[in-house]
Amino acid sequence: MIVCVAVVGHQNNPLYIQSFTDADDALKLHHIVHCSLDVIEERVNNPKKSGTTLNEAFLGLLYPTVNYKVYGYLTNTKVKFILVTTDLDVRDTDVRSFFRKFHAAYVDAVSNPFHVPGKKITSRTFAQTVSNIVGSYGLN
Amino acid sequence: MEEYPEELRTPPVSLVALFGYSELQASITKHLHSQQPPINALAFPDLSHISLLLAHDDQISQASSFRDPLSVSDSSPPVPSRCGGILKRDWLLKHRTKVPALVAAFFPSHHIFGDPNQWLQVCSDLDSLKSVIRPKNIKLVVVVVQSSPHEELSEDRLVALRKRAELDSKYVLFFNSSIDSELSVSLSRIASAFAELALAYYKEEGRRIKSRVERRSSNSPDLNVRYCFKVAVYAEFRRDWGEALKFYEDAYHSLHEMIGASTRLPAIQRLVEIKTIAEQLHFKISTLLLHGGKLIEAVTWFHQHKASYEKVVGSTEFIFLHWDWMSRQFLVFAELLETSSATVQSFSSLNQETADISLTEFEFYPAYYFQLACHYLKDKKCALELLLSTSETAQEIDSCSESITPSLYVGQFAQLCETREEKGESLTLHSITDEEYTRFTISEAKRFQDSFEIIAWLKRSYESFTNLKSRRMAALCAFEVAREYFDLADPNNAKFFFNIAASLYRQEGWVTLLWEVLGYLRECSRNLGALKDFVELSLEMVTLPVTSYDDSGNSRNKNYGPGGPATFSRRESIHREIFTLVCREAELLSSTGGSGFKLATDSPLHLEIDLVSPLRPVLLASVAFHEQIIKPHAMCSITISLLSHLPIPVEIDHLEVQFNQSTCNFVIRNSQRPLWASSSNTVESGSQVENEPSLVLVPNNWLRLTYAINSEQSGKLECLSVLAKLGPLFTISSRAESPAAMEDLSLWKHENRVESLPTKDPVLAVFGQKATQVDEPEPQVDVSLGASGPALVGEDFTMPIVVTSKGHAVYNGELKINLVDVGGGGLFSPRETEPFSLESHHVEICGIDGAEGNDESESETGNIKKIQQSFGLVSVPDLKEGESWTCKLEIKWHRPKPVMLFVSLGYLPHGSEANTQKVHIHKSLQIEGKMPLLISNRFMLPYRRDHLLLNRIKPAPDSEDMSSLPLNEKSVLVVSAKNCSEIALKLVSMSIKFDDEQGETSCLIQQGGDSPSSANLAPGEEFKKVFTVIPTTRTSKLGLGSVHLKWRRQGGNITEACVSTKHKLPEVNVEASPLVMSLNCPPYAILGEPFTCAVRICNQTQLLQEAKFAMADAQSFVLSGSHSNTVSVLPKSEHVLSYKLVPLTCGEQQLPKITLTSVRYSAEFQPSAVASSVFVFPSAPHAEKANSAAK
Repeated sequence: MIVCVAVVGHQNNPLYIQSFTDADDALKLHHIVHCSLDVIEERVNNPKKSGTTLNEAFLGLLYPTVNYKVYGYLTNTKVKFILVTTDLDVRDTDVRSFFRKFHAAYVDAVSNPFHVPGKKITSRTFAQTVSNIVGSYGLN
Repeated sequence: MEEYPEELRTPPVSLVALFGYSELQASITKHLHSQQPPINALAFPDLSHISLLLAHDDQISQASSFRDPLSVSDSSPPVPSRCGGILKRDWLLKHRTKVPALVAAFFPSHHIFGDPNQWLQVCSDLDSLKSVIRPKNIKLVVVVVQSSPHEELSEDRLVALRKRAELDSKYVLFFNSSIDSELSVSLSRIASAFAELALAYYKEEGRRIKSRVERRSSNSPDLNVRYCFKVAVYAEFRRDWGEALKFYEDAYHSLHEMIGASTRLPAIQRLVEIKTIAEQLHFKISTLLLHGGKLIEAVTWFHQHKASYEKVVGSTEFIFLHWDWMSRQFLVFAELLETSSATVQSFSSLNQETADISLTEFEFYPAYYFQLACHYLKDKKCALELLLSTSETAQEIDSCSESITPSLYVGQFAQLCETREEKGESLTLHSITDEEYTRFTISEAKRFQDSFEIIAWLKRSYESFTNLKSRRMAALCAFEVAREYFDLADPNNAKFFFNIAASLYRQEGWVTLLWEVLGYLRECSRNLGALKDFVELSLEMVTLPVTSYDDSGNSRNKNYGPGGPATFSRRESIHREIFTLVCREAELLSSTGGSGFKLATDSPLHLEIDLVSPLRPVLLASVAFHEQIIKPHAMCSITISLLSHLPIPVEIDHLEVQFNQSTCNFVIRNSQRPLWASSSNTVESGSQVENEPSLVLVPNNWLRLTYAINSEQSGKLECLSVLAKLGPLFTISSRAESPAAMEDLSLWKHENRVESLPTKDPVLAVFGQKATQVDEPEPQVDVSLGASGPALVGEDFTMPIVVTSKGHAVYNGELKINLVDVGGGGLFSPRETEPFSLESHHVEICGIDGAEGNDESESETGNIKKIQQSFGLVSVPDLKEGESWTCKLEIKWHRPKPVMLFVSLGYLPHGSEANTQKVHIHKSLQIEGKMPLLISNRFMLPYRRDHLLLNRIKPAPDSEDMSSLPLNEKSVLVVSAKNCSEIALKLVSMSIKFDDEQGETSCLIQQGGDSPSSANLAPGEEFKKVFTVIPTTRTSKLGLGSVHLKWRRQGGNITEACVSTKHKLPEVNVEASPLVMSLNCPPYAILGEPFTCAVRICNQTQLLQEAKFAMADAQSFVLSGSHSNTVSVLPKSEHVLSYKLVPLTCGEQQLPKITLTSVRYSAEFQPSAVASSVFVFPSAPHAEKANSAAK
């Protein structure tokens, strides 16, 4: 189950963060998302060390923490997508397809002429799309 | 890791026992230790101590109420009431320190080969030794100690000894310590035999137990685990790491199967035992993997370990046991990872594999495991607290159960009871119930200070993450540390760590996290009683871009920090709290006790907000002048715009605007508010006061205020800060910012909100500056530069400078003079590329004369006069209104060059008042420096006398332009001076002077003729003077000296000194001519009348000269004489060629041209055309007749 998704700007500022659990976890998930930026930074700075090819936007598993696993995705404009899930056994293809859909939703949201680049995403349509994507995660 | 016993933490070392010869034992023990692998030795002085060996083991097995299934018999069924365990606690220690792999008995050689009595003693000793060690399969070595190498040995006794000891001959060793060389040989022999036998012992033991493992079906799972463990330990003794690992893993897996299957102990204790053993097995496996450099396998193994036991929680009531255990797993693995050399060994080598096994970077960092260990320990702490708070029995538990101790088996606990039996007092261990056990563990856990552990581990993790440059993980650790300190009521330490986290969250704009941290920090400062910090933190929280209205969550929820949920309503409530605290009225003072602060009436609170302060959103002051340059005393508009992100509108009592010129400071009063008695100390009492009907800061709306101010002082006028007074004691001072250079608020810039400009005028909002330039007052003094025409090179050009006061008196006047090359030094023609540095100043200031009339005042003021070549500084005497002062500037040009003269006068118009500013006047003038005279010279050789100058025929390479003069001949030098300026000049004199004495001896120069020595030269006019030159020395370079010219401007003052100009004459080449051809011809001819013309060829050498000549015909003459021939001229003699000519035409006629060729020098020369022409009169001239008639 996906518990949190986040969009983080290129200055590592949060642009959109939404948790899908009870309200109590929100702060913990914020911390988890924030810490995962360290891993992204390290992967981007040492592309050799981390084995993953940087031609790919999907960064893979960032780190496992107590009950969660954190996955990352880096767009060409250095905007990061972060996914926190409670599933222990995660299929890579599921996460990839999730990020692909999420990226499309993000592109739609920022293509809105009333959206100022670099500002937080407050679009309700985007929030709705994201919750649909999260809901359909892992079903197929 | 330290809580594990030593024997578990270190790899096992083989053990041997030495008997007898205590004097040798020290050296043998030392030698065995130094072996690779080392061997530990137990030393006994003699064989009578044989009973000590293994004695401890027997005692334990006898004294214990348990039966050791291994040492007695496996077949005997365990007594049900006294159930056993999986691993015995002291088994490993026993094999490490008590049970040797072999026994070495040392006998002196004379005991064996000497007296039969002694031999019998040896035999009985051996028998008793054998009886002890045989049942345990311990190996035996007999060492015969020889006193000398040549001792006699009886072969029979040796064989008997071997038989008695039942030993192979290679295990009966000889030891000789008398000679050093023998000693080392003996030692190494002993060591290798020991190593071999120890290996054999451990192998046999291992095989023996392994065979039991293989009969798996017949074993209970307990025994299977135990056997696997033992096989692994024996393998470790043999350093067979692979097998050790395999059997540890087997033991681990069979142990895991026992969960839920075993029924031996009460439920809780059963699980505790299994987990404890699993922990030890895991520890062994991890250590082996890490020491083998298999980092990835170790990490993967740890993950499997964690995964397989994560859900094995056991009793949910006592879940704290599980969390404690989990936390320990992480901690131990973190410590292992940290100490292991495998982590140091490069992590990059694993990269390719990490991708496949999906391990992430963090999982190789010990810090990650430390952090998770803390997480579980915190869970344990919470669970324990919950348990203690809910269960009354748990509360009552104190250290009543001290009699419970760890039992014989690993992971089991038992009660120690004193029992009286027939034999006497003894201690027995009784198994305990789960209830007893939990009481024991709770009382143990109560003693334990989890918080300090958590803090210590988190700090380690924090430091480690900081070193790894994982700032966010480090910040999280800092936050956790701080929270732990906060819970321990240590606000100082908590504040330190909260600040670390807050600074990162602030920087990256993680508002929710920042809100949380600030909430804690606010509470810390409240506890510390730091009012200013409290107010600042509260204001920062209040101005965070938290816009969520979702207030559904219960604010009492424990998941929120003391700051409460990050919602808009919470911001508002903090705002109200803080403003009632700081903006309290005097009479309400007593009622503010609720906030926890005691405030004195006279303690004002002042906050400074600068450009980097996190409080910038509280009060952002943008100040823009409407003009970039203003006149002094003129009114100028200034717009002050204030923005606040406080959630509730705030009313300001008054505003103070502060400038760098304090006289401009002014106050804006809110007319709705009463005037506070306390006046500010930054604004003077008489300064400008503006009134506004209301000063209310509405959230996210600029409050724009425009006023006119004036400045009297010239220079920069800059607005420094805007100070807002809210209530009698609370002031906020915000640094003024230019709209042009204003940065966005770091936290608000990502928010979606309506942004407005600080000023209504968009141009001002984009380009407005908080500083403006105030002009100087208009100068009322005139400086005139009286230049008269261009300057001439060489003269002292005087430039009168007149300072005239026209309305201002001049005090402390200073005149600065600067000469600047107009071309900027770059406009040199290529010909002028001569060394510039030598004469860097082509134009220089020679002097400055003060005005003649003001001599006294000049001396009074103690004139400063500084003159450099291109810079001068003169002080001007004090002048009253209408007065004037003159000085003369003398400038000298060395080169023709235009220069720019800058003169600036700085003065004080109002005497020496300290605050007035200097007024400056600047003047400049371009002056052309010109060459006055152009001097040239020309050499002329004697008329109709041609010298063969060899240098002309074959010029030397370095004398291209050099003229050649014949030796001892009179040559003519014409010097001309042309006035090339636009000014009439008077030439005073012209003469040639030698530069050195050598010139005087080698050359004679005379003034030719009686031409006037002085002349007036109009522009363009030329003056010529003739000199005769007779060189007397033969030299290739003859210096003729230089022409000295004295001149002055015409019409100027006669007393004025003449300017002397020097012109260097070129050097000439003087040589003796071997042949001289002279033409003798009458001055004129008459048409039709014949005349004689002779060509003399004079040989001036000591050699015979052959000369060819050729005479060309001319149309205007009839010629008689030889046309061409070769003549020989004798040394120092002459040859004359004589011709008779009859002119046929009138006028200036060219004589027939004669060409002479010197054969010796193969040089041809002709007389010049001018020299070989003659004027032919039509008839005899009358002048002569008249002349003769007059006679």
